[in-house]
Amino acid sequence: MANVKFRSKKRKERASNIIVYSILILISAVWLIPFLILIIQSFSGGSGMASNTIFPRRWTFNNYVRLFTETKFLIWYGNTMLVSVVVTIVQTVIVLMTSYALSRLRFKMRKPLMNIMLILGMFPGFLSMTAVYFVLKEINLTQNLFGLILVYSASSAMQYYICKGFFDTIPKSLDEAARIDGASRHTVLVKIILPLAKPIIIYTILTAFIAPWGEYMFSSFIMLGDSDKYTVAVGMKSWIDNSVLASDYFTVFCAAAVVVSIPITALFIWLQRYYVEGITGGSVKG
Amino acid sequence: MADVSLKHIYKVYSNGTKAVNDFNMEIADKEFIVFVGPSGCGKSTTLRMIAGLEDISAGELKIGDIVVNDMEPKDRDIAMVFQNYALYPHMTVYENIAFGLRLRKLSKDEIHNKVIEAAEILGITDYLGKKPKEMSGGQRQRVALGRAIVREPKVMLLDEPLSNLDAKLRTQMRAEIAKLHKKLGTTFIYVTHDQVEAMTMGTRIVVMKDGYVQQIDTPKNLYNYPANKFVAGFIGTPQMSFFEGTLKKDGENVIIKLDCSDADIKVPYSMLYKAKSSILDGKAKVYIGFRAEDVSLAENGLRNNRVVIDAVVSHREELGNETLIYADLLGGHDETGNSRIIIKDNCGNEINAGDNIKVALDISKAHLFDKETEQSVLPRVPEYNYLDCQINDGKLKFFGTELEIPSAINCVNVNGEMLLPSNALTFNGKIKAEIVSCEEINGIYLLALAVNGNRLFALSHEKINGKTVNIGIDFKKLTVFAEGKKVISPIPEVNSFDCSFIKRKTLRKIEQNGKVINKKVIEFGFLTENVFFRASDDASQKIFSAFGLKKAFSSQLKMECGIFDTVVSEAGIPAKVESILDYGESKFLKCTVNNSTVYVKTDIEYAGDIFIAPDMEKIGIFEKEKEIKII
Amino acid sequence: MDLEYLKMSPLEKFWFNFKNFFKRLPAAFSAFFKGIPKKLYKLWLGFFGIFINIGKAAKDGDWKTRLSFGAMGFGLIARKQYLRGIFYLVFEICFVLYMVFFGWKYLSKMGSLGEVARVEVWDEDLGIFTYKYYDNSLLILLYSLLTLFIMVGFVFVWYQNVKGSYLTQQFEEAKLKLPDIKAELRSYANENYHKSLLSIPLLGLIVFTILPIFFMIFIAFTNFDKVHYPPKELFQWVGMDNFVNVLGGGISANSKVFAYTFGEVLLWTIVWAVLATFTNYILGMVVAILINKKGVRGKKVFRTILVMTIAVPQFVSLMFMSQLLSEQGLLNNILLNWGWISKPIPFLTDGTAAKITVVVVNMWIGIPYSMLICTGILMNIPEDLYESARMDGASPVRAYMKITLPYMLHITTPYLITQFIGNLNNFNVIFLLTGGNPSSLDMQFAGKTDLLITWLYKLTVSESQYGLASVIGIFTFIIVAVLSLILYNRSKSVKNEEDFM
Repeated sequence: MANVKFRSKKRKERASNIIVYSILILISAVWLIPFLILIIQSFSGGSGMASNTIFPRRWTFNNYVRLFTETKFLIWYGNTMLVSVVVTIVQTVIVLMTSYALSRLRFKMRKPLMNIMLILGMFPGFLSMTAVYFVLKEINLTQNLFGLILVYSASSAMQYYICKGFFDTIPKSLDEAARIDGASRHTVLVKIILPLAKPIIIYTILTAFIAPWGEYMFSSFIMLGDSDKYTVAVGMKSWIDNSVLASDYFTVFCAAAVVVSIPITALFIWLQRYYVEGITGGSVKG
Repeated sequence: MADVSLKHIYKVYSNGTKAVNDFNMEIADKEFIVFVGPSGCGKSTTLRMIAGLEDISAGELKIGDIVVNDMEPKDRDIAMVFQNYALYPHMTVYENIAFGLRLRKLSKDEIHNKVIEAAEILGITDYLGKKPKEMSGGQRQRVALGRAIVREPKVMLLDEPLSNLDAKLRTQMRAEIAKLHKKLGTTFIYVTHDQVEAMTMGTRIVVMKDGYVQQIDTPKNLYNYPANKFVAGFIGTPQMSFFEGTLKKDGENVIIKLDCSDADIKVPYSMLYKAKSSILDGKAKVYIGFRAEDVSLAENGLRNNRVVIDAVVSHREELGNETLIYADLLGGHDETGNSRIIIKDNCGNEINAGDNIKVALDISKAHLFDKETEQSVLPRVPEYNYLDCQINDGKLKFFGTELEIPSAINCVNVNGEMLLPSNALTFNGKIKAEIVSCEEINGIYLLALAVNGNRLFALSHEKINGKTVNIGIDFKKLTVFAEGKKVISPIPEVNSFDCSFIKRKTLRKIEQNGKVINKKVIEFGFLTENVFFRASDDASQKIFSAFGLKKAFSSQLKMECGIFDTVVSEAGIPAKVESILDYGESKFLKCTVNNSTVYVKTDIEYAGDIFIAPDMEKIGIFEKEKEIKII
Repeated sequence: MDLEYLKMSPLEKFWFNFKNFFKRLPAAFSAFFKGIPKKLYKLWLGFFGIFINIGKAAKDGDWKTRLSFGAMGFGLIARKQYLRGIFYLVFEICFVLYMVFFGWKYLSKMGSLGEVARVEVWDEDLGIFTYKYYDNSLLILLYSLLTLFIMVGFVFVWYQNVKGSYLTQQFEEAKLKLPDIKAELRSYANENYHKSLLSIPLLGLIVFTILPIFFMIFIAFTNFDKVHYPPKELFQWVGMDNFVNVLGGGISANSKVFAYTFGEVLLWTIVWAVLATFTNYILGMVVAILINKKGVRGKKVFRTILVMTIAVPQFVSLMFMSQLLSEQGLLNNILLNWGWISKPIPFLTDGTAAKITVVVVNMWIGIPYSMLICTGILMNIPEDLYESARMDGASPVRAYMKITLPYMLHITTPYLITQFIGNLNNFNVIFLLTGGNPSSLDMQFAGKTDLLITWLYKLTVSESQYGLASVIGIFTFIIVAVLSLILYNRSKSVKNEEDFM
């Protein structure tokens, strides 16, 4: 009796597993196929839009050659890389400073400051864009990478939330022990908190680095009209917006997409652990 | 290596809750002090205030000779061990221990030697290269201790260091910490909620509850002479059993009646002579407590001072070497009150739940507490003597002696009861008394005297030898009741005035280059009844450190000054003399100041309007609203 | 929580809470409004306190302190507090120079926003008319705002200076030790460390976030648009006109259309935010549960496949999708080629279809992300909860309903709220995928899939309707702020009332 029941349970489990596997495989397919098409199209010989098959009739490397010779892609790529690196450094430092101050130090304006930042976060960022644009224009920083860096990093303080959440989980008694050992608050930050905050530092770096690659709204506005200063997002969008270019450049676009995605994907998969820790930790603590 | 002095320490949070109230203690060098109490009693807060991790709301904290109230923790020369060890997870054990030394910029070799030495003391030399994560709780605790001792602090603070360890390890570490204390010869202050830890480790124990110090004493005294019901219940396992009941004096005996038992327990009055008479009237409710070790089964043979009452067994706990029997007393008129008694039995009697047993109580070890105040009815130092007296023609008669009542007191002829504070007995009077005993309790001497065979208590600051002493009465402190009314009442020991702290500019003659010039100077002082009294620099500093610069001038204060320290002066608070009180050895003016009465010591018989002034060196200042003592 | 409540069935509990929420709503509102006078009073007290402090410093201060009223930092320097003293002095000098040579010029024109924009001048040398430019309304507004900010800052610093001077005087009188310059410097790594840490981040925030927000709020009260575009033309203050126009009360025919557009866009924005948030969340959780199911092997492989899709920059996937799904896009071509359809499916060109497409593509983009978060939480659910549920005889479905779901909901509420608010302002997905299209004749400058934020973008970037755009921006802010405040408060009450475990 017991044996029969046991087997039936096992069979049931196997059946449910098969269903689960098939769903998962289906999901994986749905998520992967567009990217596969993207990669395949980047090697397509026909000029993009006209093609009507998944696999191209002619395989070629030509799109990549065109990408680097005919277009300004390489310049855009360099622009984006520069902006990303600088923004990453500045933003990480600012976020760490703000988070530490709000998590560990007690001062009169702490709570009001956090509330103000919460409210500021509710303003559509774009609303302030026009004013920032005119300010930058006045100091000749429009169509200028430095201006973009300034815009990206200026309001970094508002990204403190997740990092502060992490700092809050580091026991306060460590700070106290260090203070009794003779450390100033600055020493506590440098010697105790930062070494312990490695996951969140990497998370901050990762998100700060990736953001400029996908940001379109601000960069398109600030760089309006000077294609030498475009970031990849703005540049590639400019191909698509132009309907003449769009059909011609589709395959080149795919090639560009592959080139942009490779380093970021690699970085991402390498540091996946920290990223997951960051988003789960940060979004959950509230 | 230093003593620690806490004077009127308060911790008041911004929402008004008082975490620590008027904590006073002198900790001598090399003592092992344990703060113990239930959670939320303020013990950790006090420790953290000593460490400098928490601000001191009011009071004065000294380590060695230095007031450290406003010092950063790092400058206080203390070390602390935390409950969760607080080891730096990213550093090796070596780095953990060396961290404080490195911040103090010691040379590399010096650091190395000290770390190795500390590691050897604690037996963690093998783990120096490991990270805290790789170690067990006990080892981590040792590292935390190592980190503390390596800096050779003046005072070691330990905040529940053993509560994260398992029971066996805890016992072991307990012994090791005690050993460490002996070896280092440093002052230790140790916080725990575990009374066993407190009893085994401390040279003195501070029992706290709800922010108030309940009792400070050696473990033995805490156990034998708990000052109140809380301490009695907190110290000792299993917990003391308490019963409600009454005491009634009956000739030379006192009859104890328990609400939950029919038995009348008769004890000789000599055992309860320290109790105040009002409690022995058979009506006032008291708690009577017995420790399990003072209760036994009657069948094991009766010893002295034992009375037997009936009980029924509820359940038992077998501890191996002994058995705890939980029983309920039988009978009595009060069914709702507690009747549970715990009996420690080590004879291995076969007793089961539901059995009727006879319980023998060692009545000499009973602890009695007033139900209202929960204070011990038998304090170690009785505050008052209660005795019958007669007043007749200006003479006070008691115990077959009589004393002239000074003219300050006008009274009628009555038979009454007098309330004579033990410190109101002087040793230069006319009444001859035998000294029955003289014991030292916390620095003062309690004398048990006999006057014509009647017991009296007196306090003395020095030891009194000999067999007899001549005593007198300080009539200022005497109260006499007759027919439910106060016939004679004492005069207060201190005068109090409302005041505020102010700053003012005055012209003052100052000698400069041999010439006397008038110069405007700024002074701080107390304004009471519109009269300014200059505060000493020390006093104003204390006010500033308690309130901060801003609030110092807006706080309502109360000034207290002893009646001996208030004098008549040329300028001062205007007062009107009501009468002159002559107590024989000293005279006082009873004056009114703005509808309140003050007393002033005097030698001259003033009349009418005078000015009085408190001695600014001896005043006490309180925050009025929260009753915080500042000076 | 009382026993009556505990007795209820889940449905009753929900009904009870639901009723209570609305029952308490008026009380909460009235409490809020009743609290206002008290808050105002407190604010007034604080405000008043400032004057009292200044008055006290003026009355009781010695000459050093009083001199600091004019010469900032003097009292401090005279008492050897050089660090702050010199800072105040330098600050004052800079401020005066700024006001004299720059600030006042603009501030004085703030009321009119300039009188003459440009004048035609005959250039003798070139023999043509050239323009000579004078007032630029935009710069006047921007700089006078900046000047106002600096003035507020100056008043604040001035007050700090007076307070500081007086305090050091009091310190000196009370014979308390004043910190020497070394101790003062050291305090910026200790008691005052927050000042050192936060000054730069806050400066960035003020200049690049708060100042622009104020600027845009001011712009909402002007007629800054294509016609009134500096430096060629001036723009003027128009009061509430823009607000009236957006709400449909304007005189022009445009106003009605504009109001209609605003309503449509707002409605779609909210629908979109709800759909986008919940589809992603629920399906993400389902995927996470499937992957984490006991006995499923290759968890890591499946997870990595999905994570990889996060790693590809969003704009790449979005633009690629927009190409793939366009009328002549690859997907339509392939389907036509295979003969599955006879004419292209209007994925992005039909209003309703486009809306569905956006939501679906957003799922494709967002599910891996929420899957990651859910996985993290799922793995954190204590195993003994399930074990005890199994002991109690709960089926897997029941265990899911009773343990997994409440646990997840409880923990992820803040995440859900931030996601929801993020979706209200989700520029990228809409703009890069459809660009707000298909456009509609009924609406002004907006397409069928436009959100408030993308409409705002179009209004500014392509239509230069700055005044109107600012009004839309302010409305967007109000909607987002109100929604998120309600949600945050709800989640807080949920947290307090029924703490999970």
